[in-house]
Amino acid sequence: MSYKGLPEVVTTRKRSFWESAYFVEIFKGLVVTGRHVLKNLRHTDEMPTIQYPDQKRDYGPRFRGRHRLTQRDDGSPKCVACQMCSTVCPADCIEIEAAEHPNPAIEKFPETFTIDLLRCVYCGLCEEACPCDAIRMDTGIYEIAADTREAFIVDKEFLLNNDKDGTL
Amino acid sequence: MAKLTIDGKQIEVPDGTRLFDACHEARGEALPHFCYHPDLSIAGVCRLCQVEVEGMPKLTIACNTTVRDDMVVHTRNERVQTAVKQILEMHLINHPVDCPICDQAGECGLQDQYMDYGLYESEIEMGDKVNKEKAQVIGPHVILDKERCVLCSRCVRFCEEITKTGELGIYNRGDRAEIGTAPGVELDNNYSLNTVDICPVGALTSRDFRFQKRVWMLRATPSICPGCATGCNVRVDHEGGRVYRLKPRRNDDVNGPWMCDSGRMIYKDVHAEGRLGSALVRRDGGLESLSWADARRELLGMLKPGSVAFALADPSLSLEELVLFRRLARRLAGEVQIAGGVAGDGLGEGDEILLSSDRRPNRHALSWLDLAEVAPADLAAALEGARGTVLVLGGDPVAHLEVAAALKGVRLVYLGTRHNATAAAADLVIPLSMWPEKDALWANKQGRIQRGQRAVAAPGDAREDWRLLVDMLGHAGDDLDLAGLPALRRFVAQELGLADEDSLNRLPAAGLVPDVAVASPGSAPTGGE
Repeated sequence: MSYKGLPEVVTTRKRSFWESAYFVEIFKGLVVTGRHVLKNLRHTDEMPTIQYPDQKRDYGPRFRGRHRLTQRDDGSPKCVACQMCSTVCPADCIEIEAAEHPNPAIEKFPETFTIDLLRCVYCGLCEEACPCDAIRMDTGIYEIAADTREAFIVDKEFLLNNDKDGTL
Repeated sequence: MAKLTIDGKQIEVPDGTRLFDACHEARGEALPHFCYHPDLSIAGVCRLCQVEVEGMPKLTIACNTTVRDDMVVHTRNERVQTAVKQILEMHLINHPVDCPICDQAGECGLQDQYMDYGLYESEIEMGDKVNKEKAQVIGPHVILDKERCVLCSRCVRFCEEITKTGELGIYNRGDRAEIGTAPGVELDNNYSLNTVDICPVGALTSRDFRFQKRVWMLRATPSICPGCATGCNVRVDHEGGRVYRLKPRRNDDVNGPWMCDSGRMIYKDVHAEGRLGSALVRRDGGLESLSWADARRELLGMLKPGSVAFALADPSLSLEELVLFRRLARRLAGEVQIAGGVAGDGLGEGDEILLSSDRRPNRHALSWLDLAEVAPADLAAALEGARGTVLVLGGDPVAHLEVAAALKGVRLVYLGTRHNATAAAADLVIPLSMWPEKDALWANKQGRIQRGQRAVAAPGDAREDWRLLVDMLGHAGDDLDLAGLPALRRFVAQELGLADEDSLNRLPAAGLVPDVAVASPGSAPTGGE
């Protein structure tokens, strides 16, 4: 029985003699490759490959890299531990413990603020949810590497002083 | 009965009904409101529940209007909506809108109603707001933020009408008006946290819960407060295996919408230091922890029929556990050497509102089960010179010095939740679950059986206590076969001699006051229909 009127056996095009002869087609393919080699050697500036890590690609200003916590003038975090970010986070990677701030005008601040960078999906919803512009992903850092899983769980101090260096 | 039309819907309500309640019934949801509370007097200050009554020239507040026959009421037309919007805008004039740091966010009347009726474009500049005192501690449990207050006066009325202590008042006038206490007065009655519950905004918040958790992260489990014999219906708010707070659940037959502060703080015991996590056994004079399998073997080895000199259960155990304990104890110790708690333990000072002087949640059940309390001196006399095992479930009888002195010749097996004097004196300690860690029935001082559900997991090796008791029963030669909670509850109903076996599986929301013959004989075959 054929399915919806289609023939049961799919026939392929029959190869011609020269196609079956193998070496001719191989040679034709090598010609294409050689043509590109010669073209790239003559016009190296047009090559799409970049010499990473010596060269780095420019990303737009809206690129979402590793998070940072913004600071008040005195260097303390702007964050008021409202936990909007950890609520909206689809990866559940932000953990905040709130505490009473000695300054009654601030009232609430994050005692701990940890992000599990391995869980983070870099969606940027935390930035959008933040009512205080306290968390940003504008560092441009995308090289995030470490030797242990624990090193990817970054704390408040790290996020407050997030430099451009990729190491954790 | 009065027949009236609300939003085109005809309803019939008893004469004298408040229009607010009639609207609630007709609409299926309450009118927007701050100041109205069914258990407090009518203040009519928030002006949010305004409705249009045909024939009346102005909008009227539904909370202070009584229904009339043939009333035609509109609650959703444009005139009403505009009025509510504008009133809400007025409430927000001096509100700081500091929701990110406000503990009420997520359960805030202002937030909820603004989502429904908000203007969304504020006409007030932040700089023009009247600033008031924030984060002012006004009592041992309550913190006040005067800026957030909408002056609904619920808390003031609560302190005047329910506790009759009158600590709170509204001071000053106009946009300077604020809630406060008189100089030198603290809001320190034992019901102060109810003001936090009824505060529709974040003006009054709990010091204990302050900044602990955002409320939308909490999960709620209905339960019963075990703090005293009143058995207030509570909601256990928990997250990640940790209880964060207790809130009252309305049960007009027990606690209404209130509960006391000491009851609210009782959840702290669950996570406090000194919880028993693993079984302990006495070796060379000291207590060593034991794996669960070894502990079970040890326990069952000590509980041979005839070897048990005395069995004692504290009324802080659940009804199921007391029933199983009685059966086990009768098998092991015989009728004479069983007692339900030490007389005088767990008594405190009560009050006329909710708190009972009896601080045990299940003492009423002792009379049903014919478990007599034993005076410390009598217990000491029974233990003096006794040989064999003494089985103690819950409580802390060894805290009585005469009991402690009489323990020389016996082996003490303690099933409990805390490191206390009894655990320290015991030869074998088995950890039990505490009340939010088990699905259990409690009989309050009215004899009302109410069910508390399991909210969090017990720490360490603590198990479902009733299963442990059934296990012990099986080892003692009893062929009681209980597959799960429904079977257990049927067994309890039989033991209490209830006419309907399944009545404990189908408890009404308000709990069940069963018709238990005093001191029902119990024991499986005699449990009659």
